[in-house]
Amino acid sequence: MVRYFTRLRVRRIYKWGGRPYIFDRKLKSYGFEYLNMSVEGQEAVTTVTPGQYILIEGNDDEYPFVAKLLKLFGDESHKQKKALVQWFLRLSEVPQNKKLLLGRSPHPQEIFYYLGRACDDEINAESILGTVHVRQDNSPPGTKDTLYVKLSWDTKAFNVLDPVLMQDTSASTPPKPALPLFTPCASPTATPVSRGPVHHALPTPDPTVMRRAGSVSDTRATMSAGKRSTLEAESIHSASKLSASKILSAKRRGSAADTPGVRKKLQLSIGASECLYLRMKELRNSVCFPCFLIQVTPSTPRCATPCIPSRTVPARQPGNILEEARARLHVSSVPESLPCREQEFQDIYNFVESKVMDGTGGCMYISGVPGTGKTATIHEVIRCLQHASDMDEIPTFRFIEINGMKMTDPHQAYVQILQKLTDQKVTADHAAALLEKRFSNPAPKKETTVLLVDELDLLWTRKQNVMYNLFDWPTRRHARLVVLTIANTMDLPERIMINRVASRLGLTRMSFQPYSFKQLQQIITSRLNKVKAFEEDALQLVSRKVAALSGDARRCLDICRRATEICEHSASHPSSAGLVKMSHVMEALDEMFSSSYITAIRCASLQEQLFLRAVIAEFRRLGLEEATFQQVFVQHRTLSRVEGLQPISLSEGLAVCQRLGACRLLLLEASRLDMLQRVRLNVSQDDVLYALKPVRD
Amino acid sequence: MSKRKVKETHMPVGECISQVQMILRERFCHQRLPEKPVGMESQHKHLLELLRRTAVHGESNSVLIVGPRGSGKTMLLNCVLRELLEVKDVNKNVLPVHLNGLLQTDDRIALKEITRQLNLENVVGDKVFGSFAENLAFLLEALKKGDRSSSRPVLFILDEFDLFAHHKNQTLLYNLLDVSQSAQAPVAVIGLTCRLDVLELLEKRVKSRFSHRQIHLLSSLSFIQYLDNVRSQLSLPQDFPDTKFYDEWNDSIKTLCEDQLVVDVLQSHYNSSKDFRSLHLLLMLALSRVSASKPAIKPTDLLEASRVCMVDSKANILHGLSILELCLIIAMKHLNDIYEGEPFNFQMVHNEFKKFLQRKSHSIHNFDKPVVIKAFEHLQQLELIKSMDSSTAKIQKEYQLMKLLLDHSQIMEALQKYPQCPTDVKQWAMSAFG
Repeated sequence: MVRYFTRLRVRRIYKWGGRPYIFDRKLKSYGFEYLNMSVEGQEAVTTVTPGQYILIEGNDDEYPFVAKLLKLFGDESHKQKKALVQWFLRLSEVPQNKKLLLGRSPHPQEIFYYLGRACDDEINAESILGTVHVRQDNSPPGTKDTLYVKLSWDTKAFNVLDPVLMQDTSASTPPKPALPLFTPCASPTATPVSRGPVHHALPTPDPTVMRRAGSVSDTRATMSAGKRSTLEAESIHSASKLSASKILSAKRRGSAADTPGVRKKLQLSIGASECLYLRMKELRNSVCFPCFLIQVTPSTPRCATPCIPSRTVPARQPGNILEEARARLHVSSVPESLPCREQEFQDIYNFVESKVMDGTGGCMYISGVPGTGKTATIHEVIRCLQHASDMDEIPTFRFIEINGMKMTDPHQAYVQILQKLTDQKVTADHAAALLEKRFSNPAPKKETTVLLVDELDLLWTRKQNVMYNLFDWPTRRHARLVVLTIANTMDLPERIMINRVASRLGLTRMSFQPYSFKQLQQIITSRLNKVKAFEEDALQLVSRKVAALSGDARRCLDICRRATEICEHSASHPSSAGLVKMSHVMEALDEMFSSSYITAIRCASLQEQLFLRAVIAEFRRLGLEEATFQQVFVQHRTLSRVEGLQPISLSEGLAVCQRLGACRLLLLEASRLDMLQRVRLNVSQDDVLYALKPVRD
Repeated sequence: MSKRKVKETHMPVGECISQVQMILRERFCHQRLPEKPVGMESQHKHLLELLRRTAVHGESNSVLIVGPRGSGKTMLLNCVLRELLEVKDVNKNVLPVHLNGLLQTDDRIALKEITRQLNLENVVGDKVFGSFAENLAFLLEALKKGDRSSSRPVLFILDEFDLFAHHKNQTLLYNLLDVSQSAQAPVAVIGLTCRLDVLELLEKRVKSRFSHRQIHLLSSLSFIQYLDNVRSQLSLPQDFPDTKFYDEWNDSIKTLCEDQLVVDVLQSHYNSSKDFRSLHLLLMLALSRVSASKPAIKPTDLLEASRVCMVDSKANILHGLSILELCLIIAMKHLNDIYEGEPFNFQMVHNEFKKFLQRKSHSIHNFDKPVVIKAFEHLQQLELIKSMDSSTAKIQKEYQLMKLLLDHSQIMEALQKYPQCPTDVKQWAMSAFG
């Protein structure tokens, strides 16, 4: 495999060649016969003419875009250089879910003729990297840098390519046989052509090793791309950690494969470390790659997809009505539809749909207290949109989700976005740079990205650059990014964002109101979906209670679930349990909402209760809500004399005090202050007195 | 023990005693799980039912077990887990993960521990690879991959749950509870805490994801039950090898528990705290007095043990002070009386002490000032007095403000018990004015 470097270490210079001819009078654009590309400071020049197959700079250094050049044109000033192309796709560019349509594992050098119209076929000529051989043939090519095309892809299916499509242009301009005007010793920004001879100079590889290398690349193409990039990251990473001796031996192997002259120049032109990096990459791609991998795997087996081991005995299905109801009422079970959020659903749907249709970008801010269905609604919207795009009603788009709570640091947001977009694993700073490039450069074949940012407030940093970037990218012309953000507070933009961030977020806002009791009732009924497990009144009680307190749907479902359990336990036999009644619901509500302080005081030991009374007595004496332990202890001693108990020692008194402090009936200062520590009540005095009253009677 | 002795079923008394001590120590010190948790049947049933549903049906749950220290939270959980793992289907299916807030002091350590205990792929041996961020992403992905019916349920047991709430952003809690509320790998999050206000510590998003199930362990044990418990704790099990000794011991325990002295001791213990941990300490002390020559627990043993348990620690320190230090303490006590607990400095104490010396110069040697300073510093090291100034370096030693960390009663009690205390000193302490 050949590598093409797009990161510009050396600037490329593009010059028009041949005579310009007027191409469009109105737009004042001129066509050109060919384009000369050269690298700054180098003699060599590559010529690109229409009809040739070219490589175009993309996101992936290893696999640049492939296209056939149709026309070269520019404006009057000759400054803007444009090109008209016919796109070809690699399999990795085909959407994940459509890859299976191919029905076989693709050859690594196979590309597909692109028949869709979603991609802009006008590109910036300065993103051309070089030329490449493409054959239309049934037999896979022998040489490594020749790609071949057999099928076409029209965004829905793979078809056998009509030969006419390929021939009409290739016949007119046959590929030049002597393309490599570029000498092999050119530069690190070696184009495929320039690299070709180097590889030809390699000794003929052992066929078995070749096959292995081929199979590796094959699995790479079919494997989820995530694994691929981790694998790569892995080997680079571990390669950097390899001992010096290994690097040396790698160097030796590398230099054995190359002519010494080439290597020398390379080392002169770039830094030593970069050279090493290059060499590692080269090594990985050359024949010795598989053995290299074997060295690496035992130390960091991170390439495997993580998963929890699967169970030996399958999970049991719900047996009776109550169990069925409980399973349906669990927050995790996905309901068939989301009731009570129709308006919000419609608004978000329209917003995202219009952006996807127009290929523009935008931001939306959604607020609401926890448990009001914000995330669920958006997921529902995306599900519907995805369905619509499968039905080909709207263009395809990508959905990415990040959550502020699910990352360790706000800057990890970049890493996660990039990883989900391109399956690359890089550091935060690098990821930010790559995303910046991705969203600001006009790239061909770009589909809209819908980004959901949950728990936005946790992405706050002092300079707010994470938020700034997230809201700035959608405003770029070529970004095609829709950002949906979620947080709890309605005025978050005004409270924590600086002006330039808040301004970019814009005013498209929506707030999810807490559910009313009717809505909560409807949610439960729709979830139960005709499973008759609850009395109507019981449901109403739960929803009224929750609506009055928080309007949190999760709470409501949890209470109902608990009520079914209580109902099941109260019945003598699990199968004979009837409907969930008011009393069961009341019990569940009591369990969840009632405070346990009073029971805790009632269950405390005698000395602890006495101490609480001493605290209150001392507070009354002082007229303050705070006293030192020493003062309280004096009261305690008096009280125990009144009660006819033997006074306890000071150490024991402190132990009693600490016990009350541990369960937070009292609030205490640090215990190193000993008897000078201050004591406060964490419960109201009335509650304490109420709790202690029946005990005294 | 050897076979011969089993056949005889009569062992020498010494052998029996060492057997008894072994069995009872196992109960008191090693926190051996009882057959059935006492006085918490409904809680036991609730928790067992909940965890069984996670294990068998793959239903995600979250629950908090709240109760004061020593109320048996861990014991209850361990009993439930033991019972759960005895079920054949469950045994190989659940993955318990034990975390403790005192050990896993931040999310980074906690994540490493989870990955290690779950034996996920980025673990080699016992070491976890990857940065904090990678670990989190890795664990979340692992949990996300699973689904209700096919992956093994994970039981996250968070001891000292309240300490996890102090972690930055409560990231770990949010993620665990979020998994428990979404269709991912089935998990049960079980938190153990002694704070009653633990829910107030949770951030609103975290709180919303918690199922609000709380199991309160508040023992409403009556004294009769307490006594029963003492009896059963001290009794020997049925399978004790020597039947004769078994009968004797159990009879002696029965009479012991009916003794008025013992009942009084236990009553005062019960009044002070109901938890079994302090009871075990008491019984352990009594048990260690049993020997071959005295093969039963006597009421006096228990009384003595209770005295050791209840003794005031500072009064004990006072017994070991020199006369000079004791005099300084008395001087401080008088200063406290005069100035109503206002702080004092060395100079004031020294003046008070000198006044006493002038009056009763014959009974106490006249110490030099440096010696007195030394004694004063010693008291400070014993933390019987405590400096009130935050910045100690600025002020001269003699003028640093101090407070006495002793109660009036403690001083008087110590003076009573002090060996060969000069009468003058005693009288000085009793007198209202220095």
